Amino acid sequence: MSLFIYIADRIDAAIDLIGRLLAWLNLLMVLVVVTIVVLRYCFAVGSVALQESVSYLHAAIFMLGIAYTLQQGGHVRVDIFYRQFSPQRRAMIDLLGTLLFLLPVCLVIFIGSWDYVVASWNIAERSEERSGIAFVYALKSLLLLMPALLLLQGFAGALRLTLTLVNGPADRQTRPVNDG
Amino acid sequence: MAEMIPFLLFICTCAVLLAGYPVALSLAGTALLFAAAGSYSGHFDGAYLQALPNRLFGIMGNTTLVAVPLFVMMGVMLEKSRLSEDLLESMADLLGGLRNGLGISVILVGALLAASTGIVGATVVTMGLMSLPTLLKRGYSASEASGMICATGTLGQIIPPSIALVLLGDTLSSAYQQAQLNMGIFAPKTVSVGDLFVGAIVPGLLLVCLYCLYVLLMVKPQRATIAIDEAFDTRLRRAFKNLLPPILLIFAVLGSILTGAATPTEAAGVGAFGAILLAMIKGQLDWQNLRAAVQSTTQVTSMVFMILIGAAIFSLVFRGFGGEQRVAEFFQQMPGGLFGATLLVMVVIFVLGFILDFIEITFVVVPIVAPILLAMGLDPIWLGVMIAINLQTSFLTPPFGFALFYLRGVAPETVNTADMYRGVLPYIGLQVMLMLMLALFPAIATWLPSVVYP
Repeated sequence: MSLFIYIADRIDAAIDLIGRLLAWLNLLMVLVVVTIVVLRYCFAVGSVALQESVSYLHAAIFMLGIAYTLQQGGHVRVDIFYRQFSPQRRAMIDLLGTLLFLLPVCLVIFIGSWDYVVASWNIAERSEERSGIAFVYALKSLLLLMPALLLLQGFAGALRLTLTLVNGPADRQTRPVNDG
Repeated sequence: MAEMIPFLLFICTCAVLLAGYPVALSLAGTALLFAAAGSYSGHFDGAYLQALPNRLFGIMGNTTLVAVPLFVMMGVMLEKSRLSEDLLESMADLLGGLRNGLGISVILVGALLAASTGIVGATVVTMGLMSLPTLLKRGYSASEASGMICATGTLGQIIPPSIALVLLGDTLSSAYQQAQLNMGIFAPKTVSVGDLFVGAIVPGLLLVCLYCLYVLLMVKPQRATIAIDEAFDTRLRRAFKNLLPPILLIFAVLGSILTGAATPTEAAGVGAFGAILLAMIKGQLDWQNLRAAVQSTTQVTSMVFMILIGAAIFSLVFRGFGGEQRVAEFFQQMPGGLFGATLLVMVVIFVLGFILDFIEITFVVVPIVAPILLAMGLDPIWLGVMIAINLQTSFLTPPFGFALFYLRGVAPETVNTADMYRGVLPYIGLQVMLMLMLALFPAIATWLPSVVYP
């Protein structure tokens, strides 16, 4: 059992770290957008690469942040009934949801995107714009990273939920608390 | 039987959602289970799912939707800068001498906050924490006070710049393209987020006026006025000082979109930057606040986009089962033509609003019904504004209105839930009234866009 907790803690810590680092990209994105506007109005300069970098930042934030958001309980639920349920019952719903929904969704996205991403790597795909960013294949790789991270977080969650169901809610280990 | 599968899928998904597992994954997961069963029994062609990576990459590269995290960041930053506290205080000071001055200032500050942050939950919670105790102390009844707060909190949906309108505008623009292509128009007209913003200004302000009128005429607090010892112009100056920054920010963001100087995305970025500066000027920009702001921006953004991804999977499966054709046929058989179809869609959206959030309805329901209605000749801006007001109303409707949940979370025990339900009823009435006005006089929504973008 303690092995379960150990593994779940490691995964949670890793995903949490990713989320916290990722969060600062939001600030960077704001600054880049402001730079684009200033460049255009004050210096009449436009940069395709700069424009595209906003999309890259944006895509990286939410694709990699989805697992982090799951960990932090940030995905919306219809909780009309859910919030009145006992912890045991909630754990049951979450475990079933992880197995029936999260697992197939991640697998379908991962497997379905594999050829698409590999094809992009093979030609080292770059932006359609001549002065654009040359790393479209890296951007497309997010299609694999997103389900992989989500699956990992789902696995950690499932371990904890199983413990909750077996041992009762008292044994539920605390997750790394976000102090921000 | 096979033609019933899309409807069955829809109903099953709604039922599954009620269990309480995260919406995005429930949507996609239920659809995939249907797809698996369907391809086993030969009713579903798995080739439909091959479009998935391209669809998802399209979501990643959608430049309009980049406005979402930027607007979220702007809203969260404004919230952290404690702007709302100062605003409410100085407005109440200014209008305190009037009978009902506090009520009016709650409505006006709520509207201003809603417009600048655009997040219903944040506005209702902030207003609930700040103004509910004061309202009660000044002799407003529990139902009057909670009705006011919930109603103004939801204004963020409709008053631009609003995240809801960004999402709706993006969905409607592809629906409009599709509708015209289906009709054989290969040089389609477009509708943009900017159009929707412009279209929503007059209806949004009208709604604020209706709220104010209602409070002035119908709400009668027991102890209406506060004794004020300061001179009027001192109070005016203070109110002005507190009002100016958020109003400037809203005007800068909206103005740059309306004049075509910036895209909504750029305007959102500048707005977020402005909000950070504002927090800095007010001395609220420390490490803690900034970190909390970027982290909650990440979570809100990921949540929104995961629903978009889930909805993309759902709609591929729905289409694979022939769902779009079924819905289109259904509407063509409907008696009452365009009016009947529009009314039905509005009722369906209203009812779905009881269990689903704005985002889910925008991503799941609107792409299915909007192309049909638009192909029947509806104006896209008018439709967008109607959907936005409709969904805003569903935020207020007991027992599942989200605004009510948010307020319940911060309201003291002395305010019981029945009071809150009673309190929002008149505002729901006002909103239905606005929808009727829009139905009778579509120009309320379409006039300003026709002037701004001739």
